[in-house]
Amino acid sequence: MKALRDKARELLELGEVQVVIGYGQGRRGVRPIFVTRPQDCEQLVFDPRCVQNLASYLNPRRAHVKRLGRPAVVVKGCDCRAVAGLIRESQIARGDVVLLGVRCGGVVVHPHGPAELTADTVAPRCQGCDIREPQLPDELLGELPPPPPEAPGIAERVAALDALPVDERMAFWKAQFSRCIRCYACRQACPLCYCARCIADFTQPRWIDSSAHARGNTAWNHTRAMHLAGRCAGCSECERACPQGIPLTLLNEKLAQVGREQFEHRVGDDPDVPAPVGDFRKGDAEEFIV
Amino acid sequence: MSKHTLHLAQAQLHGLVSDLLAAGTAVIAPAADGEDRVEYTRLASPAALSLDARPLSPLKGFLFPRSEPLFSYEQRGKDVTLHPVSAEFSPRVVLGALPCDAGGLAVMDAVMGWDYRDEPWFGRRAATTILSIVCPHADDSCFCSAVGLHADSPRGADLLLVPVDGGFQVQVHSDKGAAFVDQHAARFAEQPAGSAEQARAFRQRCRDRVQGNLDLDPPAMRSWIESSFAHSLWSEIALACHGCGACTMVCPTCHCFDIVDEQEGVGRGTRRRNWDGCQYELFTLHGGGHNPRPDQGARYRQRISHKFAIYPDRFDELLCTGCGRCVRDCPAGIDLLEILDRVQALAEPPTDELLRAAPGGAS
Repeated sequence: MKALRDKARELLELGEVQVVIGYGQGRRGVRPIFVTRPQDCEQLVFDPRCVQNLASYLNPRRAHVKRLGRPAVVVKGCDCRAVAGLIRESQIARGDVVLLGVRCGGVVVHPHGPAELTADTVAPRCQGCDIREPQLPDELLGELPPPPPEAPGIAERVAALDALPVDERMAFWKAQFSRCIRCYACRQACPLCYCARCIADFTQPRWIDSSAHARGNTAWNHTRAMHLAGRCAGCSECERACPQGIPLTLLNEKLAQVGREQFEHRVGDDPDVPAPVGDFRKGDAEEFIV
Repeated sequence: MSKHTLHLAQAQLHGLVSDLLAAGTAVIAPAADGEDRVEYTRLASPAALSLDARPLSPLKGFLFPRSEPLFSYEQRGKDVTLHPVSAEFSPRVVLGALPCDAGGLAVMDAVMGWDYRDEPWFGRRAATTILSIVCPHADDSCFCSAVGLHADSPRGADLLLVPVDGGFQVQVHSDKGAAFVDQHAARFAEQPAGSAEQARAFRQRCRDRVQGNLDLDPPAMRSWIESSFAHSLWSEIALACHGCGACTMVCPTCHCFDIVDEQEGVGRGTRRRNWDGCQYELFTLHGGGHNPRPDQGARYRQRISHKFAIYPDRFDELLCTGCGRCVRDCPAGIDLLEILDRVQALAEPPTDELLRAAPGGAS
């Protein structure tokens, strides 16, 4: 995308940023690249294989990225929700970063697969996307592509699970969590899991058993989901990072639904709109308190 | 060891599994779950067997479980009673191990029997008979041929199966393998005519599939790594790294662990050994707050150094079997083949640089 390369080059040449975090073609598909020299901006690409949420690299846990200097980051709409989350929760200031927004027509599931968007390749999270032209970025680049092809989305899968009797639903999640190896790839890839010390890493007291057995895995996966409730940007990076293929987005989507239904909250890219977890209104539904 | 070659007809394969299951022997083999994920699985019946896809996870978890109880303890007043876990390991057969996975077990034997003999590891190793299968699945993440193995390597296997018309050529590679074919002699037959030639051709095709992916000179890489602790490569390749450690968890040779005491009620609990990995910040964080590997660059350097310099230095083995899982599973698209290619290029500077560096060379 020429507009993206030109803008990135200009920012580096003017010294407004020291690194552009974007997408580049690797040996196997598209992957994150860190461009520090104007002449290397030719490597930047944007197409439906640009799956990764690069907002993860703004996360304050990334000391090694921060050392490069002020960044510009290529962001899709869903990625902007994550950036807004980091700003909302005072992890970065808006001025710390230049956001190069790209209008988006959806992404594929695998960054190393074909770039063509079809009902079979499109990422489930792109169904019903309401943020194809984000407001937060400094620049909004490219023409608006057509909406993503229609395919089953995450909401359908949540509805199918919700329709099951409780014991079957429980059996489903028990089977899923039994595969968890407690690598915490879900946490590490998440742009909004920024705690300097995660509750799962505490040993005195040990809140969550570190062993990959039913007790530890249930506690960890519930805690991860609940800590993202009303905050999750819906980028699906946790599920994509999971080497065990656990469908974590189903939990995230379920909690997002609760946020919409109980608190009329939809996670967006406006950092000034508070998340339910950091906001109290007299009219808040409280039926979850037993 | 009786070195010989037999034939296992396709029609006898399920019968063999049934015999084993009927005798109470656990059979571990690639099988698809309800979501079409193929994993090494303890089979409930021969029908689940699926030898035509590569398992997503390595075999190591069956010998080195991701969470293993070492003993349980009870405390009453000042008395502590320890209850050891059983050191008995019942017989198991792995059917259809990929050469990179079976080879990984052989690589891990070195560290497991080094300064301390790991009883659970060797107990399970002794109880396990491994039937490897020549691997036709190589994709662009595979590089077994660059790290001393190959798509048809019998390393770590008691028997090697080579697909041929109507079944498998079976090569015996250990005493345990010989005992296995003797015990199940009724299921095996003499090689049919033409089978040996088919097996040779199949093996060559599988080798050709992976051969071109990567070429390494491990001694040269090792000496470059040993002298390049402060090289900028490490922090550069780690920029995209999330520190998620998936690469270590899915690796058939990564073997680091953490020991934890888990409380299970008042005055009792279990000491467990859980997988751990060098890509985590906590892995080297000291109690006093100092971390000798302070950032992801240092952690990534450790991963490459351990596999291609430290382990070879100590055990004369690379700690990598080229299975490609770390490449396939990295959410940040970090590609070990690219990295090793770069290390290799740095380890072998172009000739003109060598000349410049030589005393009295071109300036």
